[in-house]
Amino acid sequence: MAVLHRALFTWFNLLIFLILLVLRLDQRIQWNWFIVFIPMWLYDNILLIYIAFNMILFCKNAHDRLISLRRMVWYMIAVLMKLSAQILVCLKLEALQWVLPAKAVLAPFWVLFTALAADVFVHLIQNSRY
Amino acid sequence: MIFSLNELVHWLGLTIFEIWINLISLTIFTILLALKLDNEYFMDNSGWWIVFSPLFVADGLNTYFCAIIFIRMHMGSMIKVGILRALWSLISLLLVFVFKYLLCKKLSAQSTLEYSEVLSPVFILLQLIAIRACQLH
Repeated sequence: MAVLHRALFTWFNLLIFLILLVLRLDQRIQWNWFIVFIPMWLYDNILLIYIAFNMILFCKNAHDRLISLRRMVWYMIAVLMKLSAQILVCLKLEALQWVLPAKAVLAPFWVLFTALAADVFVHLIQNSRY
Repeated sequence: MIFSLNELVHWLGLTIFEIWINLISLTIFTILLALKLDNEYFMDNSGWWIVFSPLFVADGLNTYFCAIIFIRMHMGSMIKVGILRALWSLISLLLVFVFKYLLCKKLSAQSTLEYSEVLSPVFILLQLIAIRACQLH
């Protein structure tokens, strides 16, 4: 996929999600939170398929297989962490009788953001381009 | 992931340093948010402003960083590119700041705006980002 297609696909998903989110928050619709998050489920699943596809391609073609594969595994873990955080947020909002603590719900986000910040920091230091 | 860091830099018009600052501030914000939602800290009226403070600090740092880049580009005789870059940074930072400010007011019950109005700066920013996406090669 060209970068333009990926960007427009991401943009479109985000737009639909934000529209549904606003409608739900303003109580214009009373849909289940899992339905409101459908654009995000769709996006994450396509992301997982895209990463798995790239993983197979790298395994077949790349010279430096181990580094590429390690990178792809890290991407996969990041998407899975985002997915789990979203599921927990939906459960917190929908299943009120469970009384999930916010710390447990937001913990995957803490791990994800910290890991992403570390990754970007390493990139920043290695390339020395700000 | 779906985008490399360089593709994100080109699309969003952010520098890697700005992305890093935003990630750090988001981490601190989510930690404070969890504490607030569990009713452990920040219980008073100004609680939401404290929770959002890392994001406002990040905005301030990013604005300072963009100002430095603009001055350096200006000194390096890249005036037109510098002005365009500064303009984009200014618009995006301003829209994100207005969104966070309105959200904070809404959550602390200081305003009667609806969420559709609170999120309107984000929708404007999304349109601008779509235009930038069309300029990607």
